[in-house]
Amino acid sequence: MISVRQRSVLIAAVIFAILLLPPVMHALQARMAAQMLVQIPLLIAVGYLLRAAVPQRLAAAIAAWNLNGLSGLLLATFAAAFWMLPRSLDAAASEPLFTLAKFVSVPLLIGLPMGLSWPCMNFVVRGIFLLELIAMFFRLGWLYLISPIRLCNNYLLDDQQRTGQYMLMIGGAILLWVAIKLLWGHFDLSPDSQQVARLHTHDPHRPADR
Amino acid sequence: MSSLALYPEDEKLPRNERLVFDLYIITAVALFVLMMLLGLSMRLTQATWAGIGPKLFYEILTMHGAGMVGTMGLVTLAVMWFFLRKYVHLHLWAFLTNYVLFMLGALAIIISIFIGGYAGMWTFLYPLPVHSMGIGSVNAAALFFIGYLLIGVGFLLFYLDAAAAIIRKFGNLGRAMGLQWLFGGTIDQSHPKAVVASTMVIIANSLGILAGAVVLVMCLINAYFPAVVLNALVVKNLIYWFGHMFINATIYMGVIAVYELLPRYSGRPYAVSRVFLWAWAVSCVFVIIVFPHHLLMDYAQPRWLAIIGQVVSWGAGFPVFLVTAYGVLTNIYRSGLRWKMPSRLMVLAVFGWAAGIVPAILDGTIVVNTLMHNTQWVPGHFHFYLLLGVLPMALAMMYHVIGSRAQSSDDAAGDKLSLPLYIIGGLVFALAFLAAGKASVARRFATHLPEWVPYDQAGSIGAILIILGMLFFSVRIIAGLLKTPTDVGSAHPGG
Repeated sequence: MISVRQRSVLIAAVIFAILLLPPVMHALQARMAAQMLVQIPLLIAVGYLLRAAVPQRLAAAIAAWNLNGLSGLLLATFAAAFWMLPRSLDAAASEPLFTLAKFVSVPLLIGLPMGLSWPCMNFVVRGIFLLELIAMFFRLGWLYLISPIRLCNNYLLDDQQRTGQYMLMIGGAILLWVAIKLLWGHFDLSPDSQQVARLHTHDPHRPADR
Repeated sequence: MSSLALYPEDEKLPRNERLVFDLYIITAVALFVLMMLLGLSMRLTQATWAGIGPKLFYEILTMHGAGMVGTMGLVTLAVMWFFLRKYVHLHLWAFLTNYVLFMLGALAIIISIFIGGYAGMWTFLYPLPVHSMGIGSVNAAALFFIGYLLIGVGFLLFYLDAAAAIIRKFGNLGRAMGLQWLFGGTIDQSHPKAVVASTMVIIANSLGILAGAVVLVMCLINAYFPAVVLNALVVKNLIYWFGHMFINATIYMGVIAVYELLPRYSGRPYAVSRVFLWAWAVSCVFVIIVFPHHLLMDYAQPRWLAIIGQVVSWGAGFPVFLVTAYGVLTNIYRSGLRWKMPSRLMVLAVFGWAAGIVPAILDGTIVVNTLMHNTQWVPGHFHFYLLLGVLPMALAMMYHVIGSRAQSSDDAAGDKLSLPLYIIGGLVFALAFLAAGKASVARRFATHLPEWVPYDQAGSIGAILIILGMLFFSVRIIAGLLKTPTDVGSAHPGG
């Protein structure tokens, strides 16, 4: 019988291994939409699930520097901003070193910090993150739709525009989900209590109530 | 249900809260007077009684529009905070952060206009801000956008904190709005109206600010990368989704003062009813989708959107307004209402809201809109409901608060003069705009034809009366706020 933590790590490893398979990697990098909206989110998910593998002592040490999850959120935001640049996406599709950098940095600098930070975030921080995520999907989707030039050498204009359409749809779907959740959902407004307790096992001075 | 005590214990402000609240109110009344003076300078110019050049005129018009909308948002947010905090736990940092971001945003806007020469109106309709024919720079337009973004972020932070507090108490926003009682069940009579109204505002205005955040950043990108050409119609839709929601939210935040204070002055409870909950639920949906009535003259707009704009315009204002007007009238009828400044202002506010809606609904009708929308009919409508509707709601709260801090809540001798001055001035001012609209006087023109000047002169006289009244209000309110609070009991005899 494997524990929840072990299962998370196992799922992360399986997803990562599948993404590394050459046919899968090439298929996902052949289309802009697939790289941006499938491969990179899955790599983020790998990092998010890997939080279960972080030793408790290390997690507690990180948590002490991660008030309300803000430090982790900032790190993830800057790393994500880099991988949102068309130049980076382009390089990741054609240069092996960049591909390697993507497979390492996206899980470790976006997914993992988010995994460690999400349980610490209060309602306001989560709200800002989600609203900015939705706004970013709308802005980038709009931009990809109207850009008169190809933003990446590896992808054609129709692929770019299709990606824009998907991003608008994803932004709309997240917005709808957030609205339904806020209106009719169930909330536990204390940050994920079990996770926070685990993260702060070695930090007795941290206030329990946020 | 809120207390009938005039100054209930749970409304007293601790020291830090009082400091921040006073900061909001003093800033707001000072900004109102300044913005009114700017407005007067424009009306005097149109009336040929002053000689502001066209360039400065459009800068002032931009400042007046952005400044008034922003200040109305700031002061009504303070109304919402003041009453909502009694029912849910709001964090002072969110209230203060909003103030700081608002001031930074206001500073950016002032610099962009008066130093950078931005004069593309508060609506920043694309591509006007970036095609100013050399009058303003692209950097100035960008700074204006950044100013708006700062103000939007501040509001969003406050709304998120308020949403968290409401959800913590009521479970989710649907329950806070009383949606569980729409089709049946026993309504909890202690369910606060302030929570229902605040929740509606949080939902609607957050969506509006989200639209603003998208369109402002896209306009920023376009400012520096003109090759990224935006669809002007999409931009206009998003701007009005954001702009309409923002200014409408001020009514819904301001009316909380009426719900909370009126029963205390009438001495009669103002209960929550199923009709009330339905009205707020329907208005929440309608206010989100009503914005196409700003685009009825845009021939490229899809016809179905224009029809939505018209139909929803007819319905959007009515539910909450009717329920509130009916509720207010039945609440004060034969109640022996104590006619103090707050109650007078509340009755004025409901009248101003009611009368201001009529020209709005007319303008929301396609056949009328095609004739009237670019005339002074439109400023006539919004000046009516803002000057005689929303601002009196906020002033009622301010007078109530200074009453609670004084030994007596009796009106000052000057109030007997200042309120009539303000009301007469407001009516003359708004009716001058509406009459000019009926005579097809174009809006947003710095220079007027000789035939238009009499309307401008009447409007200028109205504006002078308003400012005189507002100056007196401001002195009274600021002096009242700066007084050391006295420990007024819950059954205050002065009431």
